[in-house]
Amino acid sequence: MSEQLLRFESVTKTYISGESRLVILEDLDLSVPSGTSVAITGKSGSGKSTLLNLAGGLDKPTAGSVLFLGRNVGKMHDKALSAFRNRHIGFVFQSHILLEDFNALENVCVPALIRGDGRQATIQRATQLLKRVGLADRLDHRPQKLSGGERQRVAICRALINQPDLIIADEPTGSLDEASASDIETLLLEMVKEEGRTLLLVTHNPLLAARCSSVYLLQNRQLQEGP
Amino acid sequence: MKVSFSLWLYGHLILPREQTRYATRRLLRSIVLIAVVMVPLVLALIFMDGMMSGITDKYILLQDGHIQIYVSPEEELLLNDFNDARIASADQVVTGYGIIYSRETTAEVKIKGVETTYFNEMRREQLEFTGEPLSQEGSLTTVMISEVLSKTLGVGIGDRVAFMIVPENTSRTGIRPVLAVVSALYASGYHELDSSLIFMNRKDAVKYFPQRQNSYTELLVKGSAVDQLAAIIETLQVKFAQDFDYATWDEFNTTVYQNFITSRQVILMVFLLILLVAGVYVASIAQELVQDSMQAIALFKTVGALHTQLIASYFATVMTVTLLGLLCGMVIGVLIGSQLGVLLHWLGSSKIAGLQYYLLDFPIIIKWKDLLLIGLSMLGISSVTVLCTLHRIRVISPLEVLQQD
Repeated sequence: MSEQLLRFESVTKTYISGESRLVILEDLDLSVPSGTSVAITGKSGSGKSTLLNLAGGLDKPTAGSVLFLGRNVGKMHDKALSAFRNRHIGFVFQSHILLEDFNALENVCVPALIRGDGRQATIQRATQLLKRVGLADRLDHRPQKLSGGERQRVAICRALINQPDLIIADEPTGSLDEASASDIETLLLEMVKEEGRTLLLVTHNPLLAARCSSVYLLQNRQLQEGP
Repeated sequence: MKVSFSLWLYGHLILPREQTRYATRRLLRSIVLIAVVMVPLVLALIFMDGMMSGITDKYILLQDGHIQIYVSPEEELLLNDFNDARIASADQVVTGYGIIYSRETTAEVKIKGVETTYFNEMRREQLEFTGEPLSQEGSLTTVMISEVLSKTLGVGIGDRVAFMIVPENTSRTGIRPVLAVVSALYASGYHELDSSLIFMNRKDAVKYFPQRQNSYTELLVKGSAVDQLAAIIETLQVKFAQDFDYATWDEFNTTVYQNFITSRQVILMVFLLILLVAGVYVASIAQELVQDSMQAIALFKTVGALHTQLIASYFATVMTVTLLGLLCGMVIGVLIGSQLGVLLHWLGSSKIAGLQYYLLDFPIIIKWKDLLLIGLSMLGISSVTVLCTLHRIRVISPLEVLQQD
């Protein structure tokens, strides 16, 4: 049996604004085994992104526990959370969110430099990753000179540079045209598999969800298995 | 904390790429603005120090010396022969006060009786003479008055003036009229001093001010020993094996001296306020930099950067800009300041009425310690204001990157 990389145990997330109280997730359980790919689907506003934020240590649950390799992410202080995100999580967002003042290679290098890796080794690995995604001739191009698909490839490389345990992808092809989206989906799944990583994915695309090891539907603040 | 990322980010922030011309222009603009603040501060400091030093020199060299020593006539001779490398000259002087009359008007004056040797090289540097100082022709008492007084009284060389001398601490109650001839004119360049100081031969002055308390020995010390007045007095006390009355120039000119001290303190306070305003401006550079980098900061935090790493990079960037502005301002200020004499000379010859009350011919003095103090104050104030501003980085949530997603 695979090791449980990520576990949500009775997680509730509530946002309070003034006197109104908005429950996004309620008593939610989820297990993500290591080396698998898990897709979360659901309507807009159902709480998919909130779930990813909790999984990635960007937010803390109101109640319950988010356990990553047995450690309670919700109880970590800021410094530990930063180190946790840097070493264990790779993020791919719907729109690439690259640093406009930095070229493709530098964008990919950022997480490794934050970790304190040597510059040469970092550049070497970033170059390999960018070559792998077909951007060997775009290393010194800034985001504004890259197409949407190319930017998302750079973002995937950035997510993988530190060889994190978990890749969190929030609608990674949501802002791409159909052809580019298909390419990126294939690339993301291939690279996660090649690198032996775990993928937690939010998508509206049933075809992409179907290519994952397991699929959950987020509805009424709860997860239901299956499409 | 991993320093490599902070250094890498600092490199990007301080040397923006060609594509981000706005960022480059912003940094250059900030450097220029900080320099623009520093230049007048440095100029004001040079002007203030030069002016104060110039006026102090006038008072010391022409009116009171560095130290006035009151000893017996026999010991005055010993003082003349006293050999101390710190002492530039020792002159016997007689002083008193009187009213000088011309055909047109009168003026209250301090009369200083000196030997012709009194006008040594150090003093001659402070004066411009018309005629030979204290030359004696005929039986009349000769006096040297300033050009300022000459204009006030409407007299020139060869003209006669009268004095009313008020004897001090004597049993005589009457006043004594004296007739004198103007033998020479002098100009020290400082109106305040020139308008009330006249010189006459010491032997004549002794006749009019015979009291012992009007005579003293005026010591001038060399430039390198001006801070050692107390030590010099101590040496003299040992030499004469007794206590004697003495006074230093600042004791004689308490008002002038205190005015200098107060003016300097007030000006330094004003400098501090200006530096505080500059510090607030520097903080605004930090704020602008953070504001423009909100998404980048949120992203850095998302992928694991500590706020201490980010604050270090942004702090180093803003402080580098501040330091560069500071250095540019100081260099330009010192360069202009060193040419201040030319500007003052031009102003002096401009016949602007109010300027006559200022000393416009003074040595340009650059006090590096004071400049360093201003620079360090600027850096200190900026450090505090910038760190307070960069506190904002702590509260930027990684989630903000997703809000822009």
